[in-house]
Amino acid sequence: MLKPGDPAPTFDLPCVIDGRIARSSLAKIDSELVLIFFYPRDFSFICPTEVTGFQRALKDFVAEQTFVVGASIDDVDSHLRWAAELGGISYPLIADDGAGLARSYGVFDEKENAALRATFILDRKRTVVFSTACPFNVGRSVSETLRIARALRTGQLCPADWTLGAGTGAIERKF
Amino acid sequence: MAAIDPAGKKRLFERLSSVREIVFGVQDGVLTTAGVLCGLSGAVSQHTQVALAALASTAAGALSMAAGAYLGTRAETEVLRAELELVRKDARQKPYVIKEGLLDELCKEGLTREAAYRIVQLLGTSPEALSSTAEAKMFGLAGTMMSNPALDGLVMGVAFLLGALIPLLPYMLIATPRYDLGGALVATAFTLFAVGYFEGWLAHRTDRWRSGTRFLAIAMSAAAAGYLIGLAISPLGATAG
Repeated sequence: MLKPGDPAPTFDLPCVIDGRIARSSLAKIDSELVLIFFYPRDFSFICPTEVTGFQRALKDFVAEQTFVVGASIDDVDSHLRWAAELGGISYPLIADDGAGLARSYGVFDEKENAALRATFILDRKRTVVFSTACPFNVGRSVSETLRIARALRTGQLCPADWTLGAGTGAIERKF
Repeated sequence: MAAIDPAGKKRLFERLSSVREIVFGVQDGVLTTAGVLCGLSGAVSQHTQVALAALASTAAGALSMAAGAYLGTRAETEVLRAELELVRKDARQKPYVIKEGLLDELCKEGLTREAAYRIVQLLGTSPEALSSTAEAKMFGLAGTMMSNPALDGLVMGVAFLLGALIPLLPYMLIATPRYDLGGALVATAFTLFAVGYFEGWLAHRTDRWRSGTRFLAIAMSAAAAGYLIGLAISPLGATAG
């Protein structure tokens, strides 16, 4: 699994956004940060809580100049029906149906034939600046991911449990 | 089109759970007593002593089997009840996890992920339906598997007693040496064959004669071994006397 400091693998894959099929290319995303979250499968019961959670918080991520991308190994047809089932998704759901993207980020579980619940945040240079993974049976925290994006956006040192508006340290001190 | 009677089938399956006790009890009663008669006949020459020892063995065996069935079923029921309660608690507290597990099971049975998802979604509208389906599909647990310990104990004890009387009665009624044991063995063989045949009938087999013969062969092998062991240890009794 990629860790902070690793260059992010690029992608140009079919996706579903706002009820239509499109393409999503990392090279064409013009945003300070890119949030990529992998989830195991469409038509499941924990994944939709995450997918709709990111949908609800989308405005907050956009406010932080963070472009949200979801990805699973399902194909675009599945994503299309799944997104409709969830009431519509306004960020790209990438169809990584060969699992190439999940493998390149080191988050494909061969035994389960699914991507881990892994989250990556990439900076402007498209270098990984944050990565984490949850087990299949535990959904990740959308609010914690947003907190991390906000902390990264300060460009400063942020202590434990830092929240928006709390004090930060000068980045020159490094740690 | 033939209609399925679910209530009738459910009653039948509940009754079938007692068949295990009946078959096991009768078979064990017949065999144990025949084994005791064979073994003692090899070791002791007095007809009355052999009959009394077999009677005592029958009483002890029936009580032991009844107690064993009662305790076994009770332990099994308690463990099953505890496991079912855990699953129901999970279904209440972590419905997503239960739904994911059930969805995986349905996919393994050949449904597409989307079809399985829709079925689980529907089941999820009733917590009761969701947990009972999850119990059966995910864990192989079912409320109908719970037996009545007292009933199982009673059925097992009575079945053992009835089974034991089959070789014992001819042995007690026929006073002639060798013919007494012969009568007991003929009655035993006939009963064992009948139990095997009955088992084949319950399983809707066409080769019920084979089922009866196999049951008889296995059981009589055990009885023959008992007789040989009795013959082998008879010199020890002579030394002790």
